[in-house]
Amino acid sequence: MSADVLVAGVLSGGLYALIGLGISLVFGVLKMMNLMHGELVVGGAYVASLLVGYAGFDPLLALPFAMLGVALLAYPLQRYLLTGLLRSSGTAPLVATFGLSLMAQAVLQAAFGTDPRALRAPYADAGFTVLGVRVQAVYAISFALTVVLCAATHLLLSRTRAGIAVRAAAADPTTASMLGINVGRVYALTLAGAAALAAAGGVMTGVAQSFTPTSGLPLLLTGFAVMALAGIGSVGGVLLGGVALGLLQSASTALFGGGWRNFVVYTVFFLALSFRPTGLFRRAVRA
Amino acid sequence: MTVHKGVSAAALAATLVAGLAVAPGLDPSTQDLGTTLLAYLAVAQAWNILSGFAGQVSLGAAAFVAAGGYGAGLTLAHSSVGWPVAVVIAGAAAGAIGALLAVPLLRLRGDYFAIGTLAAAIAVQALLTNWDWAGGAAGVTLPIDRIPTGTALFQLAIVVAGAAMALATYVRYSAFGLRLAALRDNEPAAAGLGVAVYQHRFAALVASSVLTGMAGAVVAYQYVAVSPSSVASVNWSLNAVLMTLVGGAGSIVGPVFGVTVVYYGLTRMLEGFQVLSLLVEGALLVLIVKFAPTGVWALIVRAARAVRPSRREVEPA
Repeated sequence: MSADVLVAGVLSGGLYALIGLGISLVFGVLKMMNLMHGELVVGGAYVASLLVGYAGFDPLLALPFAMLGVALLAYPLQRYLLTGLLRSSGTAPLVATFGLSLMAQAVLQAAFGTDPRALRAPYADAGFTVLGVRVQAVYAISFALTVVLCAATHLLLSRTRAGIAVRAAAADPTTASMLGINVGRVYALTLAGAAALAAAGGVMTGVAQSFTPTSGLPLLLTGFAVMALAGIGSVGGVLLGGVALGLLQSASTALFGGGWRNFVVYTVFFLALSFRPTGLFRRAVRA
Repeated sequence: MTVHKGVSAAALAATLVAGLAVAPGLDPSTQDLGTTLLAYLAVAQAWNILSGFAGQVSLGAAAFVAAGGYGAGLTLAHSSVGWPVAVVIAGAAAGAIGALLAVPLLRLRGDYFAIGTLAAAIAVQALLTNWDWAGGAAGVTLPIDRIPTGTALFQLAIVVAGAAMALATYVRYSAFGLRLAALRDNEPAAAGLGVAVYQHRFAALVASSVLTGMAGAVVAYQYVAVSPSSVASVNWSLNAVLMTLVGGAGSIVGPVFGVTVVYYGLTRMLEGFQVLSLLVEGALLVLIVKFAPTGVWALIVRAARAVRPSRREVEPA
């Protein structure tokens, strides 16, 4: 295994971590499996593609707008639809987010067509060499971005009043609401934050690869695989989980060829589930 | 309870016999339509057994439709056995995959199970796309002279859908089904009372897989080909969930109603409008869980009871 492969794996793992972070955040706080996460990622890429295509923005300049745009779309969905379903039956939010993901795919297809797109950037195909190791610029940038966003998320959750409210709502929503925390708003803000992270991942994915309205499903499963490897509740764990997945994918591509790349994600996901009797997620058994 | 059970079983048997007897007299387009509806019904009812009655919500029906479709297709393409044997092999292949996936899947509860099945379905599709012997992305064309068509295919569909209905009836009225429902509603309590958790969930998963696989064989015969984008399409998972939830999960009649409503009201009407149909399907899922979580059939039954008050309320005391 050459150093090139290892470095490429670690760097692409940053992108996976960014996609997994939002899923992990929503699950950790809301205990909700968000099946439309993939569409939030792809949605971010499409919002950025508008700014890149019509306003001539650089994708990195479009990134904050994409994050904001997708977050604004996600907020009311949680506030006025999903939080109500969380209080009803067990699988209602799951089915509802599945339905929303289909609707989002339909809207994206109607608006943008089904042809693959990519975000044009000078650093999309560029690379440089460090100590004899070939590095793709876009993956280096996305890795740095992931580290920054992970650190920001961690600081936001641990050092700010809003973060304390989020953690209180996660630990015990009933008590939190008795202490004057508006749990409905906290939940909606959490999904909006996760959506912003997803959109950031989408913009970088859009620069590194092409995307279509139906690209969301593999991205969703990538996010779940990261969460399965990382466990819940630690931002640093998500980063490590993403890097582990990136290394595995990179190594398998080098060994077996590119066609099996996605298959590795699903296999890893299953193995991660099988090796921990109660599932790799800590709250797998609600008894 | 026993009266209901007897009536249900008798009605089902009568419908089956009548269907098989009437089948040869129908014109080809009706037979084709019937085959399509019955294949959907078998997949939906198999999903209902696993998810409605046993409470393990699956997003992976496509994996088993694919296992069955490819099981039958590859058997016919690479050997000289007849199509009925291939149907059995299709069921066995899907059952084997279900049993294999049960090892990781049955460790998971609730939403985790759903994610696991979704990953399984995507993995199966990715595997088939990369598997050269199974035709890769193009798939396999079935030997057209050795597969059932018209009446024979319709009758096969009746038998497969009938088996799914019979199993659902059994699960609804048997002690086995009662234990499954107990696990669904309160697992710790059921386990505490001695229900063998793993065995019951395993049985529900494998039985559902076998039925879905046999429906996959029907689909493969009807399409005369199998490919990752047809039998392994996520649409099968979606339709299983949608059709059953619209009708009403956890009831025998629910999926029958749901398949009819979704097929005529949506699949048929929006044929050729792929985007619109996706939008409506998604919206329908959201609306159902929001406003009619027990399904439309349950709403109709309740409405009918409200319109026609029970005798006790009408007669003077």
